[in-house]
Amino acid sequence: MRIGAVPPPVLRELRTALVVATEHPVWVGDRELDPAPSFHPRRRQYAAERLMRELLAPPPPADVKRIGIADVDLFLDLFTHVFGSAQLGGAVAVASLHRLDPRFAGEPADTARTMSRLIREVLHELGHTLGLVHCRVAGCAMHPSHRPEQVDIKTTGYCRLCAERVGTPILDI
Amino acid sequence: MSDNAPSLLIVDDELHVRESLSQWFREDGYAVAAAASGREALAMLGRRPFDVVISDIKMPGMDGLELQRRIREIAPDVAVILITAYASVATAVRALKEGAYDYLVKPFDPEELSRVVAKACEKIRLQQENAALRERLAGTVPELVTGRSRAMQELIALVDQVAATDATVLIRGESGTGKELVARRIHAASPRVFGPLVTVNCGALPEGVLESELFGHEKGAFTGAVARRQGKLELADGGTLFLDEIGEIPLKVQVELLRALEDHKITRVGGTEEITVDFRVICATNRDLEKAVEEGQFRSDLYYRINVFEIRIPPLRERPEDIMVLAEHYRRKFAAAMGRRVTGFSPAARNLLEHYDWPGNVRELVNAVERAMVVCTEGEIQPEHLPIHRMRGAEEASEDLSLQGMERRHIEKVLRLSGFNVSQAARTLGIDRVTLYNKMRKYGIERP
Repeated sequence: MRIGAVPPPVLRELRTALVVATEHPVWVGDRELDPAPSFHPRRRQYAAERLMRELLAPPPPADVKRIGIADVDLFLDLFTHVFGSAQLGGAVAVASLHRLDPRFAGEPADTARTMSRLIREVLHELGHTLGLVHCRVAGCAMHPSHRPEQVDIKTTGYCRLCAERVGTPILDI
Repeated sequence: MSDNAPSLLIVDDELHVRESLSQWFREDGYAVAAAASGREALAMLGRRPFDVVISDIKMPGMDGLELQRRIREIAPDVAVILITAYASVATAVRALKEGAYDYLVKPFDPEELSRVVAKACEKIRLQQENAALRERLAGTVPELVTGRSRAMQELIALVDQVAATDATVLIRGESGTGKELVARRIHAASPRVFGPLVTVNCGALPEGVLESELFGHEKGAFTGAVARRQGKLELADGGTLFLDEIGEIPLKVQVELLRALEDHKITRVGGTEEITVDFRVICATNRDLEKAVEEGQFRSDLYYRINVFEIRIPPLRERPEDIMVLAEHYRRKFAAAMGRRVTGFSPAARNLLEHYDWPGNVRELVNAVERAMVVCTEGEIQPEHLPIHRMRGAEEASEDLSLQGMERRHIEKVLRLSGFNVSQAARTLGIDRVTLYNKMRKYGIERP
């Protein structure tokens, strides 16, 4: 589901990548969520927890994970920023392009790199909704990453242990 | 989440903070619990251990700084990280001076928060590993279990054989014969060498204290139980438990000990949780356990449980050929420690050492040598340096000092100690029976 002005081709490309990575059906929702109600004027960021509550209305069917893709800067209360957030073992997650875009760090625009990072970040948050916690295997999608360059070194898949836990095939590792 | 995941306790009066941080750290793979106040946090710390406490400073009632002080009193190994929305250099300095691991201001940079907590957990892990390694090292330092006598050579071979198994060992011997040294050697040669060697002197503690010492206790189990304490059986998990003077254990404690040895489970005094334990048992006694069983002072089921493999350490008087081996070893050891240039024992001093009965066994010998090293500053140790020169055995040493005289007295002594069992005496002397009979005829030694 799009949150804000996320270009539709981004979701289509993301869908293709996720189908390959998870070998599960992925579809792109029609709804578009307005992030404005989640805006925090003092922080000038958007509350990820509030966005996830809105993603839950209505709740997705059982065994379906609903992931919102945003282009705004997200935060969790207590933290300066997050790339995304998820319900651990729950139904929804949210991921944002904002800080994954190299332009945020003052670097030249790089659409391919932004997309690559988004795919990895979405796989990470999806993993949390499937009950996975952070993984120590460098390169696993569940390895923690707090800076965009840390996202770059991950692969588009889960390590053997994580994959066995969620029943997905082992990919790219 | 692994059973070995570090455990965190989040303390904050605001629900959304507890939930937010709890989720964050669960995603990071930690075992997380939360408390809404300092008082609740202390109650939780009393029930189970935590590696790291993350606490807000500003809370109604007990604030974070007070909580940190209380934690340092009851659980000084716990790392406390204080968090606040109000940055204050003075508060930060005070917190750190009073022992906080770190001090963080909200909102947190995710990387910094994860890094600080990970470092705190690593510090705790290293502290625990360091303590465990020191404990293990104490059990692996090769102690002196040696001797030239056949009895000791056979004992050493036996020790090395049983060490390779997990069999329960009962070490018997008079006081001062080195039962604890044998226990250490068994542990050091066993597959459990890198586990702890935990010793309990069962004869040194009153019944009530012994129970708590063995099984531990929960906070409040009795007056003075201000915090939970692990018992020696729990601390021995993965290693070896050495119960010295096991014959002195009161009957009530014998029942509980037997249950623990059979079920491999213990319950702390005042507690209800069953804790599984895995250790190898070595016991030692100088009591006649069989007689104690007959007299109803020692349970027969416990006796049979611990008497799986018996090792008897002969008293020093039954192996006189070991006396100088031990004396020379400790002379060198004390000479190095005291910086003394003491080169050895004079012939008269050697004679005195070898003919003394040593009722206190090796311990008495070590004390005598140490005393001699204090009064003899250089050269050879003389009889007057030894505290035993005024005691029984010294009279014998003052008589004929010829080789024949010494041999005669030695043969008489060994025969006396063996109850005139010529075969045993011959073995002790390292000669065959025919040779011994010839010497007995030569010196006019007759069976009484």
